[in-house]
Amino acid sequence: MSRQARFYQWGMVIDLDRCTGCGACVVACQAENNVALVEKQRFAEGRDMHWLRIERYWEGEFPHVRARFLPMLCQHCGDAPCEPVCPVYASYHNDEGLNGQVYNRCVGTRYCGNNCPYAVRVFNFLNPDWPQPLPDQLNPDVTVRSRGVMEKCTFCIQRIRRGKETAKSEKRLVRDGEIQPACAQTCPPGAIVFGNLADPDSHVSRLARSPRRFRLFEDLGTDPSVIYLKGGGHEHAG
Amino acid sequence: MKRRTFLKLTGMSSASLALSGCQKSNEKLIPFLVAPEDGTVPGQADDYASVCRQCPAGCGILVRVSEGRAKKIEGNPLHPVNRGRLCARGQAALQDHYHPDRVRQPLQRDGERGSGRFAPISWDQALTLLTERMAGLRTAGQADRLALFTPPLTGSLATLVGRFRDGYGCRQHLAWDWLNTEWLRRVSQLSFGIDGVPDYDLAEAQYLLSFGADFLETHLSPVRYGQSFGAMRQLRPTVRGRFTYVGARLSLTAASADRWLPARPGTEGVLALGLARELLLRGVFDQAALQAAGLEASELLGQLSAYTPRAVSESTGVSPADLQATATDLATIRPALIMAGDAVAWQTNGLEAGSTIQLLNILVGSVGHTGGLHFSPPTAPGAGSSFADLRTFIRQMAAGRIDTLLVRGTDPAYSLPPALQFQAQLHKVPFLVSMTRVLDDTAQMADLVLPEHSDLESWDDVVPDRGVSQQVVGLQQPVVSPLHDSRSFPDVLLALARRLGGEVQRSCPWENYPALLRESMRQRLGNPAEAAFQQEWLGLQQQGGLFEATPPANARPPGGTFRLPSQLGSSFAGAAEAFPLFLQLYLSPFFTDGRGAHLPWLQQLPDPMTTTVWDVWVEINPVTAQQLGIVHGDLVEVTSMAGTIELPAVVYPGIRPEVVAIPIGQGHRAGGRYAAGRRVNPLQLLADIHDERHSLPAWGATRVQLRRLSATGHLVAAGHAEGSYRRDILGL
Ligand code: SF4
Ligand code: SF4
Repeated sequence: MSRQARFYQWGMVIDLDRCTGCGACVVACQAENNVALVEKQRFAEGRDMHWLRIERYWEGEFPHVRARFLPMLCQHCGDAPCEPVCPVYASYHNDEGLNGQVYNRCVGTRYCGNNCPYAVRVFNFLNPDWPQPLPDQLNPDVTVRSRGVMEKCTFCIQRIRRGKETAKSEKRLVRDGEIQPACAQTCPPGAIVFGNLADPDSHVSRLARSPRRFRLFEDLGTDPSVIYLKGGGHEHAG
Repeated sequence: MKRRTFLKLTGMSSASLALSGCQKSNEKLIPFLVAPEDGTVPGQADDYASVCRQCPAGCGILVRVSEGRAKKIEGNPLHPVNRGRLCARGQAALQDHYHPDRVRQPLQRDGERGSGRFAPISWDQALTLLTERMAGLRTAGQADRLALFTPPLTGSLATLVGRFRDGYGCRQHLAWDWLNTEWLRRVSQLSFGIDGVPDYDLAEAQYLLSFGADFLETHLSPVRYGQSFGAMRQLRPTVRGRFTYVGARLSLTAASADRWLPARPGTEGVLALGLARELLLRGVFDQAALQAAGLEASELLGQLSAYTPRAVSESTGVSPADLQATATDLATIRPALIMAGDAVAWQTNGLEAGSTIQLLNILVGSVGHTGGLHFSPPTAPGAGSSFADLRTFIRQMAAGRIDTLLVRGTDPAYSLPPALQFQAQLHKVPFLVSMTRVLDDTAQMADLVLPEHSDLESWDDVVPDRGVSQQVVGLQQPVVSPLHDSRSFPDVLLALARRLGGEVQRSCPWENYPALLRESMRQRLGNPAEAAFQQEWLGLQQQGGLFEATPPANARPPGGTFRLPSQLGSSFAGAAEAFPLFLQLYLSPFFTDGRGAHLPWLQQLPDPMTTTVWDVWVEINPVTAQQLGIVHGDLVEVTSMAGTIELPAVVYPGIRPEVVAIPIGQGHRAGGRYAAGRRVNPLQLLADIHDERHSLPAWGATRVQLRRLSATGHLVAAGHAEGSYRRDILGL
């Protein structure tokens, strides 16, 4: 299907001038997506499972020092470097701009993770373990991944699915703002906005036209669906 | 075959398999055999409105419940405090409910005190034990030797506890925790003659100057102010609000500032007066507000003559250029708003410094105006107990005047600095009862442990004392049935009252707590008839509470006269030669005073400034670290007059060279598998120093020395400590 004919092209804008690095989105993501608990020792071994992380950068020296934050997650690239390297097509692209991961196909070569320039893919080196009764919290809409499987941010595909079903049953298109991934829904300063880039009037499309816009590693030609707005500046986006 | 067609075909045969897998067991969901977006069949879920109790801000929540289990917590969009948003702690509250180490039935001590050995007993046995003890005290005319220790209470619970106390005949109820508002209220009283908590109209402000108020982390109502902060920055089409932060440490909140003024600890008030003098000199101030506060410009300027930029710069360590630039901002940008928080409060001159900061609010005319400072409504609950009350309480313990102590909703054995002697005097209390969800440090010492319902299992009405300028009553309701043999605190009080009989039973006549809640709500609604009330009650349950739409116009105009503090000196515990560094403890953005440390989602959430996980550390300026031969990750020894602890070092660019900082919140002895044994409690470093003139705590007035021990600090950070990529390649 050509780009123009699509109803939905999911995308996200993250305004770094609003993001305070508070971490609410990170916990929201874990709660929504059944992301495994990771002990201290596992972190030391590099086995972090976060789908969304807050990068922190120091800038300058005391007293002219600043810290900047950047929420990092799967960029849902239009030309995703993780997709062509998967020998079993577990990493694939759908026609709404999402980079999907078929867990049951994944054989754990981890090529996709190696090839992702954003380092947002995490691998289940172990089976996830939640002591009782923590498993009762698990979201029934989301698969629990087992050992040997690669996983990453899905833009909360279960919520997109639900939103589209609701819209379909009411014979309409999804309304702007109706679907929100867990991170965007909780973010106190409203730094994360999700929506349909195919609709030029959607909130996300309007923000995406900001003069403050940039994308990560634009020069690699990955065509990310996540658009960042520069922080700390004085210009303003409408 | 195209890949998509293939997926669709396989999808059909497997969808039913996946579905039955979901329903049978929640622990082992069978992974879908199809592309996620084609295979997910959303189950039925309902959202129930309630209130977050992870901190006193009282944000409204919606709990998604599916098949009788709570799955996810979101913000309630209708709640005026948080309008649909939540902080990390609010998001993690689910794990408080499902915590694997929740106490599952009442426990009686079965071994040495503090040994952690308990025997399970029934509720009937537990209540009989407690009733007999209380009845015994009452008969002996010693009812006053029963004491309660809770956080500050609001709403119907405050009513019930008051009635219980009076009916039984004890007076000792300590309602204190780290997030209390005593200092802010006393500053408001001193500066404006108002006994209220400031509420900031941040969204409408164009300039914000925060003196140590970490409003994006733990200060008052972080979700409300986080949301307003986003609006201040980027909601208005032509304006981007600007923000300057004053404080010796670059906190998470400070990291979002445009300018950081790292004033020396204890000199924040001097800086405020230096700025006030500049405004007066330049003739840019709100004449009417000044007059209303009983101040006269030229006279004030005379009193401030010593606070020249040079003198202020020397005292505070802030450069004259930064001082002037900030003065220019304050003089030219309106509306401007000035906040004051913990880092100022916890000095020995905290009260005076706070009032000099409020002088700036008077000068820029922010009080009661759009984009300025407002106050919690008179209907908001009071501050709870004072710091003076806390110390009296501990003296009562030491004097053996407390026989039975019931602790609920707080963990003083962890969260009170040992210098206050609470832990040391606990053995003078013959019978300690803890009502708790996990065996925390206090419960570990208890003789009787009563398991409490989780917040998702309990009723309450929550009246925030902060972050509001109108009346807000959140309605907390049970959204799932209890997981364990636990009870709610108010229902235990009512059960005790019934068993004790007599006066206390007469003063607590309610059949159960919801009956009292309905009665209180009916009163708030002006006592409608039963049928009408029934309707309203359902509506309140649906929307999550009773919310006054807008603040009453100019509800609380400042009264009284402002008096310039006569002195601004601050003192510190520990001689500068032996203890060359200032210790700044701060409330962890995730664990606050330790109450969140049992939640694994928060433990594994990388600290935003250091990216450390599951740990506690000491932050040191790079230059100081180099002088002491310390590198990032080393194990160091921190020593104050009060004690010595060992922590890993974090080399932290955002802190003054003569200051080191440690987050509060880790180092629990107990508290379940996720909290227990994470190094040491840094509160033991605090010396016994307070603002004795005003009976206020001075948690920021201890000096320390540092010594490198070894290279093995076992510090673990998520990802690279400097960020995974170079900032320049990212285009930041
Ligand atoms: S919740 Fe929002 S403000 Fe907080 S870290 Fe995430 S994106 Fe940033
Ligand atoms: S600010 Fe307090 S009440 Fe609000 S979500 Fe966070 S912890 Fe809960």
